[in-house]
Amino acid sequence: MTGAVFYDGASARRRSVAVRVTSSSVDIEEAGTWIASWPCGRVRRRDAPEGILRLMLDGEPTLARLDILDPGLQTAIRTQCRELDGRNVGERTTRIVLWSMAAALSVVLCVIYLVPVAATRLTPLVPLSWEQHLGRAVDNQVKLLAGDKVCAGLPGAIALATLSDRLRRAAMPAAGTSDTVVDIQVLDAAVPNAIALPGGRIYLFRALLDRAESVDEIAGVLAHEMGHVRHRDGLRKLIQAGGTSYLAGLLLGDVTGGGALVLASRMLLDSAHSRDAETAADAFAGQTMTSLGRPAGAMAQLLARIERNESKIPAFLSTHPVTEQRLKALEQFVPTVQGAPLLTDEEWRALKEVCKTS
Amino acid sequence: MSATSVPATGPALSKSSPLYFSGQGGDFFRLLVNGSLLQIPTLGFYRFWLITKIRRHLWSSTQVAGEPFEYTGTAKELLLGFLIAIAILTPIYLAYAILAFALEEQHALASAPLVLIMYVLAHFGVYRARRYRATRTVFRGIRFWMKGRGWAYAARAILWDVATVLTLGLALPWASASLERYRMRHTYFGTIQGDFVGTGWVLFKRSWWTWALGLAGLVGGVAVMIRTAKSSPDTVNVMGGIVTLGVLLIIVGLAPAVMAIKTRWQLEGLRFGDVAVASNLSIGAFYGTFIKLILSSLGFLLAFGLVVSLGGGMFAGIFKRSLAQASVGGFNAYTVAGGVGIALAYLVLLLGLGVIQRYFMGRGLWERAVQSLWVSNLDALDAAAAAGEPVGATGEGLADALDFSVGI
Ligand SMILES: [Zn+2]
Repeated sequence: MTGAVFYDGASARRRSVAVRVTSSSVDIEEAGTWIASWPCGRVRRRDAPEGILRLMLDGEPTLARLDILDPGLQTAIRTQCRELDGRNVGERTTRIVLWSMAAALSVVLCVIYLVPVAATRLTPLVPLSWEQHLGRAVDNQVKLLAGDKVCAGLPGAIALATLSDRLRRAAMPAAGTSDTVVDIQVLDAAVPNAIALPGGRIYLFRALLDRAESVDEIAGVLAHEMGHVRHRDGLRKLIQAGGTSYLAGLLLGDVTGGGALVLASRMLLDSAHSRDAETAADAFAGQTMTSLGRPAGAMAQLLARIERNESKIPAFLSTHPVTEQRLKALEQFVPTVQGAPLLTDEEWRALKEVCKTS
Repeated sequence: MSATSVPATGPALSKSSPLYFSGQGGDFFRLLVNGSLLQIPTLGFYRFWLITKIRRHLWSSTQVAGEPFEYTGTAKELLLGFLIAIAILTPIYLAYAILAFALEEQHALASAPLVLIMYVLAHFGVYRARRYRATRTVFRGIRFWMKGRGWAYAARAILWDVATVLTLGLALPWASASLERYRMRHTYFGTIQGDFVGTGWVLFKRSWWTWALGLAGLVGGVAVMIRTAKSSPDTVNVMGGIVTLGVLLIIVGLAPAVMAIKTRWQLEGLRFGDVAVASNLSIGAFYGTFIKLILSSLGFLLAFGLVVSLGGGMFAGIFKRSLAQASVGGFNAYTVAGGVGIALAYLVLLLGLGVIQRYFMGRGLWERAVQSLWVSNLDALDAAAAAGEPVGATGEGLADALDFSVGI
């Protein structure tokens, strides 16, 4: 009957050994010949099934192992060698938890605070031409998600061109050659929505046009979206989505983030710009409409009407919620001199039917 | 008949020795639950420690003739491997994003083929991960280790994947044999080289009927759909549901058999020098485990649903206010409480299912497979001398970062 088996770490040979335990060391002998002495302080326990006490020598380069099978011997070693499990086992788990909590927290804080700031700082550094390239990529995604039927029925399209021309001249009077190009199109989609893509394209969804009762309502919405274009909010959101999906991937173990582009396009379609961005876009719309001598409050009325009548609040409104604050702020823009209507009645009717005539 | 009672003297070890799994289910379950709970405050970072503990438990509970394996890997190595993988992937990720934007500008979805890059990296990572685990596996004071190149393996694996797709899965047995041969011939126990003697033909002979059944189910389903579409187009949606469910049932019903057949074939083919492995794993061996897995998952979902609906009723007020606040873009104590509550419930659901899955698919199948094994000519291992160096865990990190599983 052998009480212990020694594996010397040099060969896989199984060596039946006799083990003597003293207060200072574990001595290993094979058939009366000394093989090794392990200082008690450096003896560590390794994983083994029940009934076996497996030992190794800490700091030893080979994988030498000593399996103690004899229960009496196991007890002797447990009493003599006090540091079988190393030091501070309990403390180690606490440290792991604390460190990884700190790491996780820093990632979360990055997503909440740092990524928006970084996106705001990076946005002005991106050349307009790059933004336009990005815009075309996002455009393809949006069309995939929202449908790709652009309404360009003739009399309506001309009316739209007239309207956007007037708005653009009022919104960006100094618009030079190097400035943002705004390009407004109507998309045949059944959700009342309007979005501004990076690079300057604005999509007015047909359903929003259907619900509008006057040109001023639509003009206000378009001016608001022009504000987003002017402030490059779409690009900022894209950068933010990319950074967020990357950091989330770090945390959850999927760095590819499952397509930042898809995520960003979805965010453009159905999630909000920051409140500040919305307030700024509203102010931009207010100024534009005022300089045209038209009421900016009309846009607020359109949004409020949709919010009242729609059974399911459309994405656009959950992202552009009509708060009292917003309504009041918009209604404060009252033109001192009444301007001419932006479109004639005939042009307005044509615009409303732009999706039918094509 | 515990294996520890096998005398540790020479003659009894002579020809054929059984493998034995001595791990206690309760220990493993506690380990899983504790580890999973710790994942919540650490937002998942504890996974490196949990996976290490799981491996240590499984390795040390697996004994050949009373001698246990030992897993010497540490969670720190896995964490480091993950960080290195992040460092490798970040520039790839950036280049990928730029390329994706450039392609999407031409066409929506034009960047879809870029997923191929990740797919190549996945095969590479799988090989490197196996290498890491081999070098952290110790038996009789000697470590396993691997040669071979991750890229060479990835190239092979991809070619075989193409062949498998082109032949509707018919090439799968030969693909498995070829890849397992590559892996095993590059695996060493000290100075003894491994080998794999299983052939694609044998695996095909054992498993062709599952392939035929699966294919027949698929073809039959499509045929039924076409006929329904022609004769009564208005019921096509209902029929589609029934057919999909049927095909799914066939696949789920066959999965345990396919896994058992393949596992047995894979284990029986293992060689290290003169050391050979035999298995008596039956085709039905995994069904019990699968049924337990399904029943406990359903039970857990039921209990979870009950608790959530009870708790939800109690906290309905908070949730309503939090929803109302959130919908107008507000952000206060109610939104935070509501958000945290939902996130916690989601985490508990995910981790609970994870525990069940790991308990049965990880430990359960492992135990069944181990208990079916015999090793012959174990004495031949005496000739093995130490060789090979431990390698880093970058492969495991890649697998983790790219979100694909390399198993236990
Ligand atoms: Zn807006």
